Amino acid sequence: MSISGASGGAIEGAVVVAEPLQPVARTHAPQKAVMDQHNLMFVPDVLIVMTGTAVDFPNSDQVRHQVYSFSPAKKFELALYAGSARSPIVFDKPGLVTLGCNIHDNMLGYIWVTDSPWFARTAADGRLQLHDLPPGDYNVRIWHALLNESGAQLAQHISISDNQSSTASFKLTRPLRAPTHNHGADRKWADY
Amino acid sequence: MGRLLNAAGLPLALGLGLLALVPALTRAGELDLSIDLRAVSSNATDTRLDGALGKPRYDSAQQGLRLGYLRLGYRGDLSSTLRFTLEAVSYGDHDVNPIDLTEMYLEWRPVPSSAWRSRFKVGAFYPEISLENRMRGWRSPYTLSSSAINTWVGEELRTIGAEYSLDWLGLAHGHGFEFSTSAAAFGWNDTAGTVIATRGWGLNDRQSTMFGRFANVGGPLGSRTLFYDDLDKRAGYYLGASLRYRGLFELRGLHYNNRANLADGSDIIQDYAWDTYFDSLGARWTPSEQLTLIGQWLHGRTYFDTTAPTDAWSYQSRFLLASWLQQHWRYSVRVDEFNLQQTSCNFCSVATGIGFWLGDDGHALTLTVQRTLSDHWNLALEGLTVSSTTPMRNFLGIDTAQRERQLQLSLRYER
Repeated sequence: MSISGASGGAIEGAVVVAEPLQPVARTHAPQKAVMDQHNLMFVPDVLIVMTGTAVDFPNSDQVRHQVYSFSPAKKFELALYAGSARSPIVFDKPGLVTLGCNIHDNMLGYIWVTDSPWFARTAADGRLQLHDLPPGDYNVRIWHALLNESGAQLAQHISISDNQSSTASFKLTRPLRAPTHNHGADRKWADY
Repeated sequence: MGRLLNAAGLPLALGLGLLALVPALTRAGELDLSIDLRAVSSNATDTRLDGALGKPRYDSAQQGLRLGYLRLGYRGDLSSTLRFTLEAVSYGDHDVNPIDLTEMYLEWRPVPSSAWRSRFKVGAFYPEISLENRMRGWRSPYTLSSSAINTWVGEELRTIGAEYSLDWLGLAHGHGFEFSTSAAAFGWNDTAGTVIATRGWGLNDRQSTMFGRFANVGGPLGSRTLFYDDLDKRAGYYLGASLRYRGLFELRGLHYNNRANLADGSDIIQDYAWDTYFDSLGARWTPSEQLTLIGQWLHGRTYFDTTAPTDAWSYQSRFLLASWLQQHWRYSVRVDEFNLQQTSCNFCSVATGIGFWLGDDGHALTLTVQRTLSDHWNLALEGLTVSSTTPMRNFLGIDTAQRERQLQLSLRYER
């Protein structure tokens, strides 16, 4: 699988999910996952989890955070805390969950929740490989936190045969948005 | 060294005592401590703190080792949405209280359930005007000395009242832009305007404190004994707005008016009402993680006394700051321009030659190099040069035109 931008450059960090178009035996159990907060940023910036995954939200900063989401896929809030997280949050509905911090409005993170166990993020060369997909038809969807477009170019249909591999290439039609910055240094002590 | 110890001894002892309370306080909230020690070289004239007109923080008599500040910040959570903030500071100078408050307020900040969020603050705090003073304790991560605009804000402005803000959290809603609006009503700022009109602009990091008597030693136009005073029982207000794009760009504006009644004053404590209003507009652009560019402009007027013609002053300033972050190093340069002009004077007479119109006109260059030594230690070297022509210096018997230079080496500890 490879993803390139509008000008041809590789797209790193894109979410790629292969959604089976036929019923498949559920052989993958949801794993526990971690969304850390460090230097006033969510780490990782994008987390992909299977539906039903319990996600821990530890706080590695010296300041308190108050994580929330009002996304339809999961509305929740964690009371102000520092250090180790409270109880994990179970993400029980597929969709995109946008995370914020009520204390630090510039903090932004994403959790992509999917029913499919076959997902990954692209490497620096814009490529990735998904393994052990049972034979069948799949809808392969891509998403990126800086995506500035929508449309059919963000999904492709692929078929997998026994012991065969399949490839898909995506090309975005518009440049990604500029990445956000979190003020540079001294983030630990930022407050105004 | 002895001078430093004399000035800093009590604050340091208080700070060390408070350190012992850290474990208990941190369980209920966040407690952080900053200590900033300076080595200073300066040719500046006597400082504003001494009632004079020196623009840098330190004058030629204050060279050597100094206490930059000892600061204590506390944020406690009364509930998951109600937060208490307290900022205490000691500058080791001869203010009346060895340690005093600069801010103390309650903030209600409900967790948003949609892209709209309300916030409500009550207490004593800064209006959201500065784009450079963004570290806890209203300090700048870029320079040791604040710009002329934000030096004045730190000296004379504090919201002692209530502020309501409405935010639109576009980022968390899948958009690139966010915006906020705020409105505040406040008292105890009727004397705002005194410093700008009688001392002109300054460039330093010496904030006034809630119960201090900064610059109360007298000076060209008399003394004052209270810094935050409510003389007319009439609330002032400000309206602010900011627009942000993906953390890369922020535009911030504020209209302030203390609505002071010029008829009110207190001869006993020599505090007078100054009717002061201004507009401020600023922008911060962070095109990369390394580069930050900040610009701010402020223009206002202040009026004093009801005797015709009412004394009036017009003041304005602007600055541009560029800061480059390279791993552990930060390099910052700032250019300030400032102007103050008395536009009406009831004690000036061209015919008799009695009195003269007050003014202050100049510019400044600030160069700062910082090195982060560890998670807790920071080293900074700053050169500041201020050229100004200030007729008020006639009162002090010194040349009206001065070029003041100050070099500071700062070692800062944060915990």
